Amino acid sequence: MNLNSNETAFEINLKPAVAKRTARIPVKCKQKNRFIPVFLGTVAVLTILSLWYLEIDWGKMASRIPDVGEVFWDLAHLDFANMDLVFSSLVETISIAVLSLLYSLILGIIFGMLAAKNVFRIPVLSVVTQSFFTFLRAVPTPVWVLLMLVCLGMGPEAGVAGLCVHTTAFFTKSFAQSFENIPDETIEALEATGANRLSIFTNAILPAALPQIVAWAGMRLETNFSECAILGMVGAGGIGYVISNSLQGYDYGTAGVAILLVFLVAYCIERIFVRIKKKFS
Amino acid sequence: MTKRIPLIARDLKQLYTVFLIVAIVLFAVCSYLTNFNVMTLIANGDAFWEFITEDFLPPALPKSSRIPGILSSVLVTLALAMSATTIAAILAFFVSLFGSEKVSPFPKAAKFVRGFATFLRNIPALVWAFILFSSLGIGTGVGFVALCITSFAFMVRAFVETMEDVSQDCVESLQAVGATFPQRVSQAILPSCLSGFLSWFLYCVEINIRASTIVGMVGGGGVGLTLFSYIKGFQYDIALSIILLIAVMVIVVDQVTGKLRKEILK
Repeated sequence: MNLNSNETAFEINLKPAVAKRTARIPVKCKQKNRFIPVFLGTVAVLTILSLWYLEIDWGKMASRIPDVGEVFWDLAHLDFANMDLVFSSLVETISIAVLSLLYSLILGIIFGMLAAKNVFRIPVLSVVTQSFFTFLRAVPTPVWVLLMLVCLGMGPEAGVAGLCVHTTAFFTKSFAQSFENIPDETIEALEATGANRLSIFTNAILPAALPQIVAWAGMRLETNFSECAILGMVGAGGIGYVISNSLQGYDYGTAGVAILLVFLVAYCIERIFVRIKKKFS
Repeated sequence: MTKRIPLIARDLKQLYTVFLIVAIVLFAVCSYLTNFNVMTLIANGDAFWEFITEDFLPPALPKSSRIPGILSSVLVTLALAMSATTIAAILAFFVSLFGSEKVSPFPKAAKFVRGFATFLRNIPALVWAFILFSSLGIGTGVGFVALCITSFAFMVRAFVETMEDVSQDCVESLQAVGATFPQRVSQAILPSCLSGFLSWFLYCVEINIRASTIVGMVGGGGVGLTLFSYIKGFQYDIALSIILLIAVMVIVVDQVTGKLRKEILK
């Protein structure tokens, strides 16, 4: 639907007879997209079917709602006794997020170069790269981390490697898109001078795509941090492990501190990048 | 030396230099803090390839008696994502009306609504799941609520932004003629923003398909739990087939939502 159409859609009814009777201005807006009602109906049906299929025991859940309040009350009693543990695992989590971001940035530029259709102009190569990374992207990060844990053992290596898989896949797709958005004239001009493909890439395509690369990286840091905070819960180290461990050990005070810190860091990252984005645009 | 034509403006170049330096410093600090070294990873390469070629490949099918159970767990994951997103979208729609200063009947409270949503959003879904597990017990219902919380918060933000991007003229003109709050919503906000809302809703479905798999892994049920049990049971070849199944599920959903989004934004 066109966004401007609603401005013209308000038909002011000027017929005197109607105006006298109701003294109201009818503000009818004609829905133009026929597809939307159908879509809404389908969504409603699917949702009801899903809820029916899930067979959630709502009564049991409702009866336990007071417990939720209790848990939040316990969480609010912050316990700073284990602060050094919480803090060191938070630092570890942030480092893993940053490291995986930086490594994937490099890998993403390389693979994005292969996946973009206008860099090497080998269609088969870009199709193969694109579809391989589509597969990697479709599988959630914790799965990769779990597998990396199996073959690399516990420690930050598994976290970095696992996060890198998904982040690289994401970057490959988005960087390839940015590279393909470069106007063909730029590339053709360099082709005419006889530059080889690699130097065309480093001198024309990469510099032109830099603002987008920075923007994507900023966006990804947010996701990476929250993913990284999750990883501990499936068995890797970091702040997630502290949260899940202390929740399972009924140590709600420590868990409260850890959750609060996760929130604060995520919030700061978001704020910083809102600022940077404003500066760039 | 050959003269070069500068391709980037000087101030921009400075900015990128700053970014590069920040990146290098961060890299050094983080590598030091985690003792992470790519070289150890490369040195471990043999074990890695051995794992991939011997344990992981080729994908094996689970016992035929298990297959219906796995397929139904995929359905649980899909149903979880679908229902949680819809319920969250309905709630988010009503809450977001109060989150925008220009639309809300109580403009002063708008900041609090947005702040609350920011708080809910910045805590990952899995953390919510764990908090709820410790109070509500493990089960699909908890996964549902955890997904609802994050997608609700995400959509409140997205909906508020959509409403503020759209021109506010019609809201103001309706206010000027004395339209009540429900009238303003149904006649001005809904017609102009509905397609934007639905586009965000579809995006959220995409996210939630992945998230419900993850929440499933820690006890929310669905295909995530199945995968987790195979990985924990060292049956990696079967796990690979389930990973492929998850990938197919996600790609199909992405394709479908992409098509639907094009239809809606027409």
